[in-house]
Amino acid sequence: MLAASHLTRRFGERVAVDDVSFELAPGEIFALLGPNGAGKTTTMRMLAGLIAPSSGTVRLGAEVVSRHSAPRLRGRIGLLGETPGLWDRLSVRRNLLVYARLHGLADPAAAVDEALERFGLRDRGGEPAAQLSKGLKQRVALARTLLHRPDILLLDEPTAGLDPESARDLRELVLRLRGERRTIVLSTHNLDEVERVADRVAVMRARLLAVDAPAALHARLYGPRLRVTIGQPAAPFLGVLAKAGFRDVQAQDRTLSIAVGEHAAATPAIVRRLVEEGADVLSVMPEQARLEDVYLHLVGREDAQ
Amino acid sequence: MNRMLALLGKELADLRRNRALFLPAIIAGVFSMLLPFAVAVVVPALAGERLSDSNDFAIALEMYRDEPRLRRLEPEAAVQAWIFQQFLVLLVLTPVTGAMSIAAYSIVGEKQGRTLEPLLATPLTTLELLGAKVLGALVPALGLTVATFGLYLAGVAAFAESGAFRALLTPASLGVTFLIGPLAALAALQLAVCVSSRVNDPRSAQQIGALVVLPVTAVFVLQIAGMFQLGGPAIVWLAVALAGVNIGLILVGIALFDRESILTRWK
Repeated sequence: MLAASHLTRRFGERVAVDDVSFELAPGEIFALLGPNGAGKTTTMRMLAGLIAPSSGTVRLGAEVVSRHSAPRLRGRIGLLGETPGLWDRLSVRRNLLVYARLHGLADPAAAVDEALERFGLRDRGGEPAAQLSKGLKQRVALARTLLHRPDILLLDEPTAGLDPESARDLRELVLRLRGERRTIVLSTHNLDEVERVADRVAVMRARLLAVDAPAALHARLYGPRLRVTIGQPAAPFLGVLAKAGFRDVQAQDRTLSIAVGEHAAATPAIVRRLVEEGADVLSVMPEQARLEDVYLHLVGREDAQ
Repeated sequence: MNRMLALLGKELADLRRNRALFLPAIIAGVFSMLLPFAVAVVVPALAGERLSDSNDFAIALEMYRDEPRLRRLEPEAAVQAWIFQQFLVLLVLTPVTGAMSIAAYSIVGEKQGRTLEPLLATPLTTLELLGAKVLGALVPALGLTVATFGLYLAGVAAFAESGAFRALLTPASLGVTFLIGPLAALAALQLAVCVSSRVNDPRSAQQIGALVVLPVTAVFVLQIAGMFQLGGPAIVWLAVALAGVNIGLILVGIALFDRESILTRWK
């Protein structure tokens, strides 16, 4: 659907994006993570055909995004920037109507009515954009981004500054759009949001540090782990598990975190050893991947280098 | 074309809600209109003197004696007609000022409101974007020209000597108002658009656009001094020159409007 191949963008001496490649499938939510200045927005703009790469290509379907093809291909892409970018003096309806016409929709007024209805803005259509709250402005901006029903959605920090309720609404909308087989690229600092919605995550700092599903990234960096909760303090059982051949074991209060080769195979042996040593095993479960750990590990490692 | 019209509609709707932008043009228009009435009607009435008795306006009488269709004018009406004719050049300042003010704001305003990125993310081309911006400033400027000229003529008909009104309705007057005025306004606003593509402050764009005011003022001074008369051939040549300048400015405007710089350097 959308593919970036060896994308590089220089601004003078500074390399903002360095040899970034990935390929996105229809209906996939792909998150770009990285610290400020990591090149996320520049990557988004190259994907949208707004700025040209210094080298490398962006391909939308079978077509390469170029200076010549970009105006036409932009009709298949919806970009939501860091700010809503509404014309404050114009009404919500008028804001959307201009974009419906810019995209050459057959019936702009009907498309705007539908968008207002879909985004719960029907009663606010006549209000000047300046009078809306930040959350509502972002909702209008998203309605504008989706007016022409793009195949690809590029959302640059869409929940920044939103209250939790508005952020949740937006996440739910993103998930609905995935259901409509739209490909979504999400740039954000909100790791919790990424864990909830993203199919794959790219951690970048000018170059791609890692690309994979959140759980797979965690497994790749730390390997699979089991989390065992027992009825006693966990620390005395570290030695027992070490003797049983588990080298990477961490204890905290009544919980043991154990690196294992494979969850199913390791569980009976661990439970047996702990019970033999008098532990009351309360629960055993695969340890949930924490994206924050992965992210900080990757970015920290890059800093160290 | 449809995309340009869509954006033009937005420009005009936005202007209707931002009337303060018209203030410089309205001030210029009022000043340009009142000045000749003060010189030709108010001051002589207050002083109790007739302009045609003063040697200062001998040039006006002489000029009108050379015009066969105006020979029948009374001397006072001839002098007034001459004054109103000369000051007509200043009316050109109305559309020029209005266009500059609107055009300088139209791009910098998009930058300041951070509304340009979503606009550039549509299929809109640079030519369509600039075309809408230019027309969005030119259309109201032309409206101001028509309104100002109408008021000017109405004032002359109401307050000047009989015959002065008809003497003012010459091809030269209409040429200055409806040919030179719009072309000068177009040049000014294109200059403003060019500059506003590269700056973040509308005042910078307005200051550069103000360069167009200088030649207009120079023509006015030369006319008043009797050194130059903006007649038929001069108007045609000036119109051709301005048209050439405008075509050049369209090309420069497109070249200067660098989408990438706008997105990556504007903060």
